Order: sequence, then C-alpha cells, then structure tokens
Amino acid sequence: MDALGINLPGLITQIISFGILFFILSKLLYKPLVSLMDQRAEKIREGLEASDIAREQAARSEEVIQEQLAEARVEGQRLVVEARETAERFREEEMAKVRDDIEQERVRAEATIQRERDSAIEDLRKEFAGLAISAAEKVVRTSLDEDGHKDLIESVLEESTSGSK
Amino acid sequence: MAKLLGSPKALSITILIAAVFVVSILGGALGNSLGFGFLSSSLPAIQLPAEIVVKGFDTPIGDWDLMNTMVTTWLAIIILTLVAIVVRRGISEVPGRLQALFELIMEFFLNLCESIAGPVNGRRFFPLVFTIFIFIVVANWMGILPGFGTVGRVADPAEIAHHHGVHHYADPAEHDAHQSASGHKKTSGKHSGHEDDHSGHLDSVNLHVFSGTGGLAILQPGSLSEELTFHDYEEAHGDVGDGKRAGHLVPFLRSANTDVNMTLAMALIAMVMVHYWGLSILGSITHLGKFINFKEGPIGFFVGILEIISEFAKIISFTFRLFGNIFAGEVLLMAMGFLLPMIGIIPFLGLELFVGVIQALIFSMLTLVFASMASVAHGSEEHH
Repeated sequence: MDALGINLPGLITQIISFGILFFILSKLLYKPLVSLMDQRAEKIREGLEASDIAREQAARSEEVIQEQLAEARVEGQRLVVEARETAERFREEEMAKVRDDIEQERVRAEATIQRERDSAIEDLRKEFAGLAISAAEKVVRTSLDEDGHKDLIESVLEESTSGSK
Repeated sequence: MAKLLGSPKALSITILIAAVFVVSILGGALGNSLGFGFLSSSLPAIQLPAEIVVKGFDTPIGDWDLMNTMVTTWLAIIILTLVAIVVRRGISEVPGRLQALFELIMEFFLNLCESIAGPVNGRRFFPLVFTIFIFIVVANWMGILPGFGTVGRVADPAEIAHHHGVHHYADPAEHDAHQSASGHKKTSGKHSGHEDDHSGHLDSVNLHVFSGTGGLAILQPGSLSEELTFHDYEEAHGDVGDGKRAGHLVPFLRSANTDVNMTLAMALIAMVMVHYWGLSILGSITHLGKFINFKEGPIGFFVGILEIISEFAKIISFTFRLFGNIFAGEVLLMAMGFLLPMIGIIPFLGLELFVGVIQALIFSMLTLVFASMASVAHGSEEHH
C-alpha cells in the first residue's frame, strides 16, 4: 500500500474533495441547467402541438368553406333553374292571354264588320229601292200606287237575291 | 517530393523541421552520450506515490501531508466551480456560447443515461456520472499543461534516502561542514560505515543537480550531464559545484489522477453510490439477495460469492485503469521530453489529450452501466 502511495488521510481528503465538487456542480450547474433544458423542451413541444392544432383548424375551416361554396353553387343553380321556369311559365301565360285578347278582338271586329255590312246592305237596299222606284216612275211614267210598286220591287229583289244565292 | 521541394516556402519549412529534429536529437539524451545534450535535463525521479509538497500533521490514522496531487485536485475543483458560476450567472432561455457548450455535453450525457438506465433512473444517475466525467477530463488535461511535473522544490539527499528506507542518512555536505569545524579525522570511517549499511538501497538512485538555493526549482536544460549517483555524491563530500545542490525535484503540481488515492476515492464513491442506488431502487432484500443467495441451492450461493468478489474487482479495476493510463502518459511525456526534447513530445501531447477524454468517458460510462445493472433485479433480466 505504501509503495502505491495509498494512505488513509490522503484518500479521505480526496473523497471529501470530490464530494464537494459533486455538491457544487449539482447545485450550480445541473439543477438549473437541466431544469432549463426541460422547460425549453416542454416549450418546444407545446409550440409544436399548438401549430398542429392551428394546422388542423385551418384544414377544418377550409373544408367548411369548400362545403359552403359547394352548397352555394347548388343553390345558385337551383335558383337559376327556378327563375328560368318561372320566366317560361310567365311567358306562356302572357302569350295565352295575348292570344285570347287577339281572339276576342277578332271576334268583336268580325261582329262589327257583320253589323256594318248588314246595315250597309240594308241602306243599299233602301237606296236601291228608292232609286228603282224613281227609275221605274221615270220609265213607266205611270203613277202607280207607291205601296204597289214597293211590293213589286221587293218581290223582284227577293227573286234576284235568291237567284244570286 | 520534387514538387514539394521545388517551392521555396516548402523547402525552407522542410529544412527548418529537419534542423529542429537534428538539434533535438543532439540536445537530447542520445546526444548526451556523444558529449552534447545541451537541451535535455535529467529524467525526473519517477515514483508511484504522490510527492509531498508540504509536511502536514499527524492524525490518528496516519500523517496528513499536502500532496502535489491534492493541489491539482483542488485547482481542478476551483476551475470547475468558476466555470459553473460563470454559466450560472449568464443562464438564460436563449443560451450563450458557454451555456450552449455545457448544454451540448450535458444533453449528450443525459440522453446516454436515459437510454441506458431508463428515464427515471437515468436522471438519478446523471449528476454523479457527469461529475466523474468532467472532473477526470479537466484533471487529465490540466496534467499536460506546462509546469506540471517540472516546477517544484528540491528534496535533499537525506529526504531521498528516507524515502528509500534509509532513515538515518547523514548528508555529507552538512556532515563535512560540521566535521571541519571540530576536526577531520573520523570522517572517512563514518562514511564507509554508511555505505556498507545502505549502499544496496541507494546504489540505483541518481541525484540531479539544480542551480540556486531558493524554494523554487526546475530541471534545467543541459543538467543531464551533471547527474551523479549517491556514491559520487559522497565521494565529492556533497560538493556539486558553486551555487548548486544535488537532490530530486518535487513538483508542486502533478496530474491528479496519477495518485492512486484520487482514483481509489472516485472508485469508492462510484461503487458506494451504485450499491446505494441498488438498495434504494430494488429494496435491500432483493439487492442483497444477489450476493447472499440461499434460494437457488449451492450453485446460487456460489454465484453470490462470485458476485461479491466481482464488486471488489470493479473497485480495483476502476482505480488502476485510470491511474495506470494517466501515470503511464506522464511517464511517456517525461521520457519523450528526455529523449527528444522539444519535438518528441508533440504527438504524445495529442495522444494524452485523447487518452484523457477516453479514460474519463470509460470511468463515467462504467459507473453508469454498473448503476443500471445494480438497479435491475436478477430475475427480471431472464424474462427479457
């Protein structure tokens, strides 16, 4: 032991020295530095988690937006179709109405024309009877009974119309 | 090669290196035998025990003396404490350079501890493992600084003789001075008596020559040619020249781990802590059951005995692995400085830096492995 230099007081001194170093380094270096490193690791982990959550949220909101967009597109198409249908229906209604109006107008016009024609014919007949009477008066120079002439002419005309028919 | 020598710069560097090499060979121990040796000093007296710097006091368990390795240990502790204080002061969430360096090393060890011993036990083992590592590295690297092993006090021949078991050596220098005052006659008789008694112990011991008489001495370049034996010293009646004295250098600083006390202290602390952890993690019955085992018959009992022996073997291997490596390194550096002064030492300085780290790593890793082994019960190992 002596030849190696082992002696108890020296050994104890070195044990105490190392113990003091251990104590000092534990207090000064390990505890604060390790806890700091742990804190930092914790912080980084939290940060990563937060960014994950944010990314997830962004993805989710993107999805929602896409969904809403799709919905809106469908809705828009539906509205367009509806509007087109409405317009078509409206047009047809209007057309029908116009057609009715025109028909009524035509019917009325036809009636008026009929009436006008009838009255014109009547007038013409009257005129023609007068003219015929005067003409006949002039031709025969005989003064016949006005009523007898009228009947005669009437009958002549009757014949002619039925004959023309 | 021709291209290398063609450039004037490369050529001059090559010549310079060759010249330094020649000078160092001639100035070293080899040149000394040819009559040169102007650079080399004596090979310092190599001894296993640490040298005593200052005599201490008696204690009931032996003499306490201030050893040069203790001085170095305390220096290493002071350096580490100062560094720790600097780091502690500037500690912040965003690390500075020093803090980043320490975090890097500590992170490495923390990860290692956690991967070997598990997250809970790793945290528990880390402070001791890391302290062992950092202390051994700092102490080993300090040991190769200039001034270690080369600056110290001079031990006179009487002290050297005392070391070699000759307890009543009469220094001829002092003796002659005393004798010349009271007459010269019996001198030779007394001397021959001493030589007859102790020549066997002291024959192989060379004395080195130092100039000056102050408390501080270094081995001087060129002092190798002045080296003399105890016999020569007595022949010369202790007179080695004007203003010079003979003796051995006792360096004030010596690498801390070249002292068995230091490495044994760390080995004891490591193994005591390993068993403390074993006891507290496994419980005393399980842990002690590994060593004193009656359950598994005579073979189990015998294995237990072997385990006990291996625990002591661990202390011894811890102690002497570190001590042997670092001590051998010191001797190597001394011998190279002696043989090829100036340049012979350079590659070995690099080697010693490497060995210093490797030994620190080995000591701390083995502590960690032993601790994690002690914290696992034998039975559970088989189930893995």
